[in-house]
Amino acid sequence: MIIWAIAKTTVGDALRRKVLQVFLVVAIGLIVLSLSFSQTLSFSSQRGISADLMLLKSFGLGMMALAGIFISLILGVSLIPQEFERRTIYTILAKPVKRYEFIAGKFLGALLTLAITTGLMGITFIATIVAKTIGAHNIVDVKSVSALQAKADSQIAFFDVNMIWGVALVYLQFMVLSSIVLLFSLIFTTTVNFFMGAAVYVVGFMSTVVTSLGGAEGANSFQRAFFKTIYYVLPRFDQFNIPNQLLHPEAQVTNMASYTGLMALYGLLYTLLALVAAILIFERKEV
Amino acid sequence: MNVAEAIVVEGLCKEYRSRLGDRMLAVNNVSFTVNEGEIFGFIGPNGAGKTTTIKTLLGLLFPTSGKAIVLGRPAGDIEAKERISYLPESPYFYEHMTGAEVLDFYCQLFRMDKVARRKKVGELLERVGLGKDGRRALRQYSKGMLQRVGIAQALINDPDLLFFDEPTSGLDPIAHKDIQDLILSLRDQGKTVFLSSHQLSDVEHVCNRVAIINRGELVRLGTMDELLHAGRTIITLACANEQLIEQIKPLTAHFAQDGDLAKFYVEAEDDVHKVLEIARGKASLVSVVPQKQTLEDLFVEIVREGRK
Repeated sequence: MIIWAIAKTTVGDALRRKVLQVFLVVAIGLIVLSLSFSQTLSFSSQRGISADLMLLKSFGLGMMALAGIFISLILGVSLIPQEFERRTIYTILAKPVKRYEFIAGKFLGALLTLAITTGLMGITFIATIVAKTIGAHNIVDVKSVSALQAKADSQIAFFDVNMIWGVALVYLQFMVLSSIVLLFSLIFTTTVNFFMGAAVYVVGFMSTVVTSLGGAEGANSFQRAFFKTIYYVLPRFDQFNIPNQLLHPEAQVTNMASYTGLMALYGLLYTLLALVAAILIFERKEV
Repeated sequence: MNVAEAIVVEGLCKEYRSRLGDRMLAVNNVSFTVNEGEIFGFIGPNGAGKTTTIKTLLGLLFPTSGKAIVLGRPAGDIEAKERISYLPESPYFYEHMTGAEVLDFYCQLFRMDKVARRKKVGELLERVGLGKDGRRALRQYSKGMLQRVGIAQALINDPDLLFFDEPTSGLDPIAHKDIQDLILSLRDQGKTVFLSSHQLSDVEHVCNRVAIINRGELVRLGTMDELLHAGRTIITLACANEQLIEQIKPLTAHFAQDGDLAKFYVEAEDDVHKVLEIARGKASLVSVVPQKQTLEDLFVEIVREGRK
């Protein structure tokens, strides 16, 4: 009950933050506008609907990820420090509230906020794709594309269920990133935490580059150990980004549902570890 | 521990360390007890260690050394927190919430069910005079109204022990009086109140015992009668010559000449008699006025002594 009460208050507070609202509105606006971009470029007349949808999916998921990462960072870095700044933490922790309940409540609130924002962006994204698919089926110019392409286009479903898995994976990476910045917020200042969180995301996103650096010719044992540690310690955010799989069905992911389930398990485990570390630090933190 | 003791503090020390390793002793070997049903005043200048002591008793800060027991449990214990409450100086709440919502939130922290919460919130809003303003957002509240919400949240669990940190800071006289009356009503209900305030007249008026802390150290502790001595006596003489004044001066704390009148400020009662004896027949006695020492006098004296 206590965790849920703190979570609800956190959601109410977070959704009223102007900076979050701006990111959300801009992201949703750009996802909707992507419909007109693709029409302007008129890919469908040259390369078929599938190329057009590829552009839309790529843009939409990218926009969601970008906005969501900023929202996760902004939300995560201020989640606990803001309670100190506003002194609301004193009256809460003076009540029979265990410290882990406070951290869990704040984090659950952040997850719910991210779920709402990702949900809104996701619905917009899926609606945009469906609208484009319906529109493209009606206007496709058979003369301008090959017969084979026209046949393939006519077989494209109006609704691709993989889009839901795509949105879910985007949300999972926000969850992991939020747990990391929440942990950092108990150690670093807000500004340092913001950049640290962003750095963790970027390096985690480039995990394949990191592992290549570790195995590169000429790398000494220290460098190998360093890059190997980074590779294993930081979350592999690139694995959550499946636009490639979503855009190119021929890619290695054959079952999006099981892949998403596996990534959810990985994300939950990582989040749990970060959360336990945050609780252990907060238990000893003076307020 | 005696069951009649609500708070026991023994040799409490709290040291802050900066990131650069600098150390600052905020509370230094402080010991006191607060009895159940007592209004205990805790006063000191800014930075004396009052809020640090309160936060340590609430478990928000951890003592560097020493012991802090609250309602028979170590400070910060969840069971003890069920029976205590805290009103910070200028309480801050989530501004997007209404008065009723914020109280409902705090009720949830005591695991109260929805029906109990609704009843409690209504009662509390009425009690603090916000019955008609409960549905307004807190951002529309004045400072006095926010303080009333702070009081309401401090009364949710019908606490046995209340910590009030500067409860009247920045309030208008009406709100100030209401809080003073609330503290007195809590005393009548047998509650224990730990009151930290700069309003020394309030402390003098409502507290059974007072502790004065300065530079982290407890410098005085006792009842008002024990702390405040009888005070000075001002003896005013007319037509006193130089020789007589010089004869009396060593017995006085302070001397002032006002035209033909000579004012002698005498501390000890014995010295009052001696001065009157010396002056008999040599000058006209205008008045003998005893001045009772106030808590403010004592406080100023202690703080000034500490600065020397």
